[in-house]
Amino acid sequence: MSLPSKPQAVPVEFLAPEAEGVVVDLCGEERNVHRLEELGIRCGCKIRMLCPGETCLLAIEGKKMCLRLGASAEILVQPLTP
Amino acid sequence: MATRSKSELSATVALIGNPNTGKSSLFNALSGGQARVGNYPGVTVEHKTARMQFGRDKQRIIELVDLPGTYSLSARSADEAVSVEVLSGEMPGVSRPDAVIVILDATNIERNLYLLSQVLELKIPTLVALNMWDRIEAEGISIDPNALSKSLGVPVVCTSASNRQGIPELHLALESLLESPTLGILASEKLASASFPEAFHRSVDELSQWFETQGVSLPRFQIERLLIDDAQGHSYRVIPKGRAHEIAERILESRKSLGAQGIAIPLFETRARYGWIKQQVAGVIERKPRDRKNTASDWIDRWLTHRWVGLLFFFLLMFFIFQSITRIADWPMQGIEFASGWLGDLVKGMLPPGPLESLLSDGIVAGVGSVLVFLPQIAILFFFIAILEDCGYMSRAAFMMDKFMSAIGMSGKSFLPLMSSFACAIPGIMATRTIENRRDRMVTLLIAPLMSCSARWPVYVLMVSAFVPNRTYLGGWVGLQGAVLFGMMCLGALVAIPVAWLLKRFVFPGEPSTFIMELSSYKWPSLRVVAMRVWERILAFLARAGSLIFLTSVLIWAAAYFPGDHSQLDRTVAQLRAEASQPSPDESKLESLETQVNQQRSELISQSYLGKAGHWIEPVVRPLGWDGKIGIAVLASFPAREVIVATLGTIYSLGADQDESSQGLVQQLRSATWPDGRAVYSLATACSIMVFFALCAQCVSTLVTIRRETNSWRWPIFSFVYMTSLAYIGAWIVYNIMSMW
Ligand SMILES: Nc1nc2c(ncn2[C@@H]2O[C@H](COP(=O)(O)OP(=O)(O)O)[C@@H](O)[C@H]2O)c(=O)[nH]1
Ligand SMILES: [Mg+2]
Repeated sequence: MSLPSKPQAVPVEFLAPEAEGVVVDLCGEERNVHRLEELGIRCGCKIRMLCPGETCLLAIEGKKMCLRLGASAEILVQPLTP
Repeated sequence: MATRSKSELSATVALIGNPNTGKSSLFNALSGGQARVGNYPGVTVEHKTARMQFGRDKQRIIELVDLPGTYSLSARSADEAVSVEVLSGEMPGVSRPDAVIVILDATNIERNLYLLSQVLELKIPTLVALNMWDRIEAEGISIDPNALSKSLGVPVVCTSASNRQGIPELHLALESLLESPTLGILASEKLASASFPEAFHRSVDELSQWFETQGVSLPRFQIERLLIDDAQGHSYRVIPKGRAHEIAERILESRKSLGAQGIAIPLFETRARYGWIKQQVAGVIERKPRDRKNTASDWIDRWLTHRWVGLLFFFLLMFFIFQSITRIADWPMQGIEFASGWLGDLVKGMLPPGPLESLLSDGIVAGVGSVLVFLPQIAILFFFIAILEDCGYMSRAAFMMDKFMSAIGMSGKSFLPLMSSFACAIPGIMATRTIENRRDRMVTLLIAPLMSCSARWPVYVLMVSAFVPNRTYLGGWVGLQGAVLFGMMCLGALVAIPVAWLLKRFVFPGEPSTFIMELSSYKWPSLRVVAMRVWERILAFLARAGSLIFLTSVLIWAAAYFPGDHSQLDRTVAQLRAEASQPSPDESKLESLETQVNQQRSELISQSYLGKAGHWIEPVVRPLGWDGKIGIAVLASFPAREVIVATLGTIYSLGADQDESSQGLVQQLRSATWPDGRAVYSLATACSIMVFFALCAQCVSTLVTIRRETNSWRWPIFSFVYMTSLAYIGAWIVYNIMSMW
């Protein structure tokens, strides 16, 4: 028997409304990743999707942040199953 | 206090922190200053100083510096660069701070500590203010400030700036810090940078030696930033211009060698700092696990930021605001109009007819008075703006608009400066400093003057109340006048869309920019903040009426009064007054005297300098449905848009028919005629004037601000030319379409 596999990490934009996830990786241009980290978006932090879309609204560790990164960077999250 | 000499200044203290953490509120609470406070990021975009008396005997004076918010000392935008420049002592006019107060949002300590970790490395005595202390309980957070202070190694004070709590404690802490500065300086081995890789420090040493051989002396902190940050940020501003290439090469070399040793620049920095932060807060902060779902704020956000519901709400809100302003302001406006008519009559009653009487009543009272009439509207407009700014709605609106703005290659970041341009383009243009992307910033700055600022308001209201019928629809809920006003307010914004698209496409092409913005929390607007904002604008409006508008009124009066010989008119007016004051005046004699006065007045004004100039300009403005007087009034309002109301006030008061002179500008406009007796103003003329003013660049301060922010005359000239052309064409189209009916 295999272990129950963890759900696949997905770009944060793919989170359904109200779904939560933990950031597992930030990729893209270094300067943008650096900026995201300075803003408190980094591996291990918990993100909840409030309003999906190309520009999405997220709750990051309780603070709301809106985000449209386009092709410049990507936030990969591991969805948390409730 | 302003008379005190600089020598008594004992210290400079800077306030720094993440955006929207309450720096400006704390600045005001500490110094009694008047910094603008608002519940969205980017309210403060330049440094602001205030002096504060200090110490037990209030003998010492401290210069307190409020700074724009920033997430880190690696500045990406012009406003963040201001903060870095002040801290590093590069800002002209501000001495390097003797101490800094780092303001942390107590509800979000970890992220806020990132900036602190960098500030501590500057080795300026540091004091931490844990602000928003009133909110931690509701957020389910508990913090032990003493433990935090022990762990950080610098003093920590809990404050709640908007309620003015913890301010005396902060005063005391600052006093002891200034007395023994070492209390706020960490030993190097306790700093976050102590955990940077050894190779990085070596590299910085080498670079700094190399810089010395090159004759460039930079503090270590700046060399570290050069090595970590990319060339698009503001860290590279410290490099001497001619040497940029060579220095960049050398830095790249260091980076490559660090990369070869497995040090990932710039990301190792964030890792090291967050590692440091984790140590600092261990055992100091506790978060109650809480069901964060479906708080009231989330629920509101779901609707307010909804693609269509949110947009509809935004437009209804704006519509409601404009409707209310026209209604509420109606009676105070009539009051001021009545008072100014009364004052004019009083002057006429006290002085014999002549130049002095005319200057006072036609020039100053009629000119300045007709602008002052709009004070209530401006006050009410800013009341609404202040509420919107302080409740937290603005950042939501920016989020919503990002979807639309990204369609023309811009971002929601541009929305806030544009929105604040609805109050006044100058702070709007300054607020573009928050936009990281230079091309976006330029486009935003160039379209900001198209937003309907409050100086257009008097022009619109004058024309609307004179020529748009006062009808209401939907059971009295929607007024036609308010709707036309709303339409005029939207016009500039609508025109700005294609202009922005064209600029973005042809003048500033580039990659679409990204958008990251923190939303502020919702709160009830604070009475103090709202009152201060309204008061500040009332003062600004009065100051303008007292200076610029007063001056142009006098100039316009002189141009319209001279060089004609007024002695005959003065005699006729004296006769008329004498006749009118008889117990039983002869009606037919009165009438013939009145006709004579009116004739002589209009002759004199057409012979005056202004009349002659009007004659010259008439062919140019005739296609817009204007006569020479309007043309001159528009030209004279080059310094500021609302001046046109004053110049029209003066011109029509001088040329007014005898029985109308005290009836206010609206009546005088309605009865103005062409020489052949047709009315000058129609709805079409009024609309053409409004459209012209919606689109024109008649505001010297705006042009000067554009020049200052872009550092070149090219852009203000560009703005003036493109906006004036748009205004002329727009007014022509509107006049021609409307006169077809
Ligand atoms: N609840 C609470 N709100 C605060 C406090 N200090 C400031 N605010 C509010 O936070 C918002 C931002 O304040 P401001 O001083 O402009 O922040 P700045 O951007 O850091 O200068 C305003 O709406 C303030 O009224 C505080 O201690 N508690
Ligand atoms: Mg501020």
